[in-house]
Amino acid sequence: MTASRRLPLLLVPATLFLFVVYVWPSLGLFRNAFNEVGPTGAMVEAWSLETWRATLHDSFTIELTLNSLWLSSMATLIALCMAYPVSLFLFRTDSRFRGLLAVVAIMPMLVSGVVRVFGWLAILGDRGLVNTTLQSLGLITAPLRLVFNWTGVTIGLAESIMPYMILALLAGFGRLDRTLEEAARSLGASPWRTFWRVTLPLSLPAIALAAGLGFVLSMSAYITPKLLGGGRVFVLATEIFEQATTNTNWPVASVLAIYTLLLLLALLALSNLLARRLQR
Amino acid sequence: MTGAGRVLSGFAALVYALILAPIVVVVMLAFSADNFILFPPSGYSLRWFNQLASNGPLLTALWLSVRIAAVVTLLSLAIGVPAALALAKGRFAGKEALSGFFLAPLLLPTLITGLALLLFFSPLKLTATLPGLVLGHMTVTVPFVIRMMTTALANLPDDIEAAAATLGASPWRVVRRVTLPLATPGLIACACLSFLLSFDETVISLFIAGPRASTLPVEMVRYVEGRTDPLIAALSVVLIVATLVVVLVVERLVGVARAVGK
Amino acid sequence: MSYLELSGLQKRYGNSVAVDDVSLAVEQGESVALLGPSGCGKTTTLRMLAGLIEPNRGTMTLDGSEITQLPAHKRNMGYVFQSYALFPHLSVARNIAFGLEERGVGRAEIAKRVEEALALVRLAGMEQRRPKELSGGQQQRVALARALVIQPSVLLLDESLSNLDAKLRDAMRHEIRSIQRSLGITTLLVTHDQVEALTMCDRIAVMHRGRIAQIGSAEDIYERPATRFVAEFVGRANVLPIQRDAQGRAAVWGQAVPVEAAANADLFVRPQRMRIVPASEPTGDGMARLTGRVLRSVFVGDHVEVLVEGAGGQLTVEMPSGMAAPTEGGEVAVVWPRAESRVFAREAP
Repeated sequence: MTASRRLPLLLVPATLFLFVVYVWPSLGLFRNAFNEVGPTGAMVEAWSLETWRATLHDSFTIELTLNSLWLSSMATLIALCMAYPVSLFLFRTDSRFRGLLAVVAIMPMLVSGVVRVFGWLAILGDRGLVNTTLQSLGLITAPLRLVFNWTGVTIGLAESIMPYMILALLAGFGRLDRTLEEAARSLGASPWRTFWRVTLPLSLPAIALAAGLGFVLSMSAYITPKLLGGGRVFVLATEIFEQATTNTNWPVASVLAIYTLLLLLALLALSNLLARRLQR
Repeated sequence: MTGAGRVLSGFAALVYALILAPIVVVVMLAFSADNFILFPPSGYSLRWFNQLASNGPLLTALWLSVRIAAVVTLLSLAIGVPAALALAKGRFAGKEALSGFFLAPLLLPTLITGLALLLFFSPLKLTATLPGLVLGHMTVTVPFVIRMMTTALANLPDDIEAAAATLGASPWRVVRRVTLPLATPGLIACACLSFLLSFDETVISLFIAGPRASTLPVEMVRYVEGRTDPLIAALSVVLIVATLVVVLVVERLVGVARAVGK
Repeated sequence: MSYLELSGLQKRYGNSVAVDDVSLAVEQGESVALLGPSGCGKTTTLRMLAGLIEPNRGTMTLDGSEITQLPAHKRNMGYVFQSYALFPHLSVARNIAFGLEERGVGRAEIAKRVEEALALVRLAGMEQRRPKELSGGQQQRVALARALVIQPSVLLLDESLSNLDAKLRDAMRHEIRSIQRSLGITTLLVTHDQVEALTMCDRIAVMHRGRIAQIGSAEDIYERPATRFVAEFVGRANVLPIQRDAQGRAAVWGQAVPVEAAANADLFVRPQRMRIVPASEPTGDGMARLTGRVLRSVFVGDHVEVLVEGAGGQLTVEMPSGMAAPTEGGEVAVVWPRAESRVFAREAP
């Protein structure tokens, strides 16, 4: 039997590693959130809630939060509308290319985020695919502003979270038994009615989980808002990065990071609760 | 009522077009003859590939990224596979809790990991160093290796190992002669994906990279922020082709959807 | 014209033919079983009938009108799935009401009919339960009620009892049979279990390799199997290779048997039709006989199986368990009425 008593010893290196490079730094981040920033801008060691108070009372923080929530909601909604049919298609298809199609669907996940952002710049930019097409059709005269604003970021984010949501949906389609749809059909439900009365209700838990995942990923995305936002889109993620690097204001960065994390945990708990409620 | 139906298939095709659009556009743009991003390009050439071949900073960053990814992969497997073995085959108190602990870094955003590492590395002078970047990437790859290999090892039939044991193999010899050989395809796939994860890791790198040591994604972000010309597209094509090769290898071995899925 | 007619149905998947030229006529109120091993095309036939898959060729008519092109939801067939396929997100009452709701039946009427259906399957009071809170047998009854409540033109049962344990299966067989009879509903049942087919149906169609090998009453199928496959699949049979002896007569184990001599054929005799008598006893009128040695007797509850070995083979005789078992190793004669002998050609390999 391989279940030897010494087997757990194999866990020691990984545990040690994560403690030193993950747990300890995370505690450090937590510690930093209670330091203060002196009048010179230098960090002062302290145990105070001053940074918390200042940050949470800042109207800019509120604005960032609302921006993040709105952006994530829109991106998640768009991505869900796209990911759901694709997942259902992949779940049902008996094509022999199913494996290949699944790989293509999650391709963006495996291609560097920067590459995809660059692709969107080429599609949505002033002289990109969309604008040149619309102009050559004579539909518009001046190019539409599609990047370096909220539109571009929302589109780019939706695309980048879609593969994760497809995987989450596919994993959650377990209860979606084909026979149930056949049963509905044999009982007189048209294909459309079958979708409404059987397929959709049974996939609601999967939808809740996928939406939760997409939302969390959107909230914490940095590259897409940064590059497709062109410095005009401010969300919690971009602000955390700015504070940590450009401003080297670590206490504020840490406070914002913990604040974002708590928001995420609350949202995750909510989507899990919803999924469980729907699962019943 | 087999298959996906026409309406659904049509819609899926539409979404596929959207998913692939940025990638297709990037590939076409790489062969552009223009000085800036214009799509469709007014002419085609290989000039941006030539530019790429003579771009010092990007090539340096590429070489650093490759070295980092290689070291990260080796170290992550060395640390992660034994842990996965223990989690998959062992029965001991606290196993569930430990599994959860190992998964946590995958669930938490890298934005926060990156910040924590910046705060941790700065006083230690580890930012913008190769060891710092390697350790940073490993916060993602080690949990990934543990998760993927735990599943792979747990899916191996217990009976085969039991059979080897009844034939007189000691536990460690069972691992060496039966478990690991059976897990080889999964192991290779896992190595490939770890390499990709490290190579593409952007956010953590952005926090802890600096002028002295900058990885390729970081350099690409800086380039895109500053200029908009098709050079990055040419580089992207190289990366996409390399990624495709890795993805195909993984798909052959274990199936990508299974490997990256939860 | 019969109430339900299938003619020349064919279903291909790529190069393989799942159902090949199946024709069947069912009268109103009749109960017919499609019996066969897995992969014989019986479920495919049922699914074509329900409109869940499209045939490549052939037609189906119901009560005189063609239904071949009709989509599943317009066929009004009550289908009971092997897995029951109860909607996990709906209560028992809503499951049963589903088909009525799709038909736009009024609320009060639905409530009344659901109640009746539940009473019919003896599940009154279970309205608000979820399917997973029910036992296997109860789920099966809900599935049955759900299929019956729409007053289907035909009731289709797809291996509906195979997920139940043996005792419950027995009870459900009789229950379904009596419901089927009292409602006078035309029923088509797919099964691989011959007892189910024999006890629940008026007629049985034995399917083999996508075709109907024989169709007839239980007695027809059992006593007068039309093909070698039917003889082997339904009930047990001793299969004894026929040779020719020196005089050119048919022989088994080197002993002449009173059947037509045929090349490449086997003699089929049911073990229950055979009797063991002392080797010294003379052969009676109209009886066939083989002598051999008793290899062993096995007590299997309601009967004793006696394995008899002759020169070149073995056969099994089923004796009522009350009778004294012959001693092992003893010489005995095995006798059976000549009319119980069937000869089937060996299939080309």
